[in-house]
Amino acid sequence: MPSVIVADQLTKHYGNRVAVDSVSFEVGKGEVLGLLGPNGSGKSTILRMLTGYLHPTSGRARIAGFDVTEQGLEARRRIGYVPEDVPLYPGMRVDEFLEFMGRLKGLDGRALGDAVARVCDQLSLERVRNLGIGKLSRGYRQRVAIAQALLNSPDLLILDEPTNGLDPRQIIEVRELIRALASLHTILVTSHILSEIERVATRVAILLDGQLLTIQALDNGGRERILARIRGGSADRIAATLVAVAGVRNVSSAKDAGEASYDFTVEIDDPSVAERVAADIVGAGFGLLSMARTRTDLEDLFLELTGKARQ
Amino acid sequence: MNNFTTLLAKETKALFTSPIAYVLIAVFLLLMGYTFTAYLFISRTATLVQSVFQASMILLLIVPVITMRLFAEERRNGTLELLLTSPVREIEVVLAKYLASMAVIAVMLALTLAYPITLQIFGSPDWGPVYSGYLGLILLAGALVAIGLAISALTANQIVAATVSLGIFLLMWMLDSLGSLLPDPYDIFVVNLSLTAHFTPFATGALYLSDLGFFAILIMLGLLFSVRALARR
Repeated sequence: MPSVIVADQLTKHYGNRVAVDSVSFEVGKGEVLGLLGPNGSGKSTILRMLTGYLHPTSGRARIAGFDVTEQGLEARRRIGYVPEDVPLYPGMRVDEFLEFMGRLKGLDGRALGDAVARVCDQLSLERVRNLGIGKLSRGYRQRVAIAQALLNSPDLLILDEPTNGLDPRQIIEVRELIRALASLHTILVTSHILSEIERVATRVAILLDGQLLTIQALDNGGRERILARIRGGSADRIAATLVAVAGVRNVSSAKDAGEASYDFTVEIDDPSVAERVAADIVGAGFGLLSMARTRTDLEDLFLELTGKARQ
Repeated sequence: MNNFTTLLAKETKALFTSPIAYVLIAVFLLLMGYTFTAYLFISRTATLVQSVFQASMILLLIVPVITMRLFAEERRNGTLELLLTSPVREIEVVLAKYLASMAVIAVMLALTLAYPITLQIFGSPDWGPVYSGYLGLILLAGALVAIGLAISALTANQIVAATVSLGIFLLMWMLDSLGSLLPDPYDIFVVNLSLTAHFTPFATGALYLSDLGFFAILIMLGLLFSVRALARR
């Protein structure tokens, strides 16, 4: 798989402060890499170095084979970037802004018109394309910002905290949009919210204080887990009942919780499976003493790594 | 349309769709009209020399208002990041902003052409100082806009950009009298850095290559510093 991003020992200093410290990673074509880390961990600085907005203090980065510093124009032609806080020109209309950005990306004439129509359709902007950007809601502004990034069908789409400041419905829309775009573009997305990364990324890079702690592959089939305390039968019989529930992916070995009850950690496809687990356990004549969502692997990993690093 | 013309169209439209350009042009013409009329009635001489000097002073005050927002506003709104992460060169962004600002100045000066035309209708002015006066005003404005642009590229605060620009402009204007207080040979060196020393010959109808060179160098240095300020990220 050819690499769309190659970051090699990227480092950025602001005076004496090290914002990004020797970060290296590669992202292959078609991947969605999530950069996860608390605020101030260096996520946006890495994106700004990859997009050529900031020059690395040391280290190099290549986008689709082009060095971001020495071949900046070529590299930037292959990137669609949505900065955090979605900066737009409030005095422009949506279509005017998209045409302006399209021209800067090298589009003209009919190709420009087609590209603007395509992204308006893709992002459901038809209704607002003649409105001034200053009059748009935060959700629409986010869509306009994503639309401009898609105008030239870039190899790489970079989204910095794309769900920041959105309401729950808009967050779901943006998440679904990222999933849909993943089939067409390589995507680098940042968030300080773990569940956001978990829902859209194929791999996650965890950052803390400018250092890359790890890169892990994510199984996006669903990593919901529930912890259930069950009584009224042998551990084997209960486990067999749990495994038989549709949507259960894995059941941990039983832990004796005393008073003839056992704790099971059950990995499920999605939260709705929890209801079926409860129904089937009770239906099989067992007693369900408690059931709660528990931390996912990624949460455990994040807490473990950031805890260790801070020590 | 290439990147430069796209950016120039955007900048020009932004300047001329905001009230700032029209307010500045109106204030400029009001002050110029008063000076021109008053001087004409008092002296009864068909000359524009006083008006050209008056225009140069007003430019010192007006240019910081035009240039303060050019980069500072984009930096504060974050749109500079959007612009500079697009496949454009820094020089294209700088030149587009520079020429759009010069377009406002050009409109201002073009509207004052009514004064020499009036003089021609009712008298017989010497056209040499008129031509050189306008050339001097364009060069002076060009240098001021280039310096103001460089200062705007260094800050996200428009008030800071305007105040620092105004301070530098006034200092460069006053260097003429400040320099003459210094002992020889420093006086000549400092006086030669002053805007007044190089602008006065234009206003009075004398053209020297050294004065043309002075303003050309200021313009180039201003644009160069603007590009460097953007590139140093």
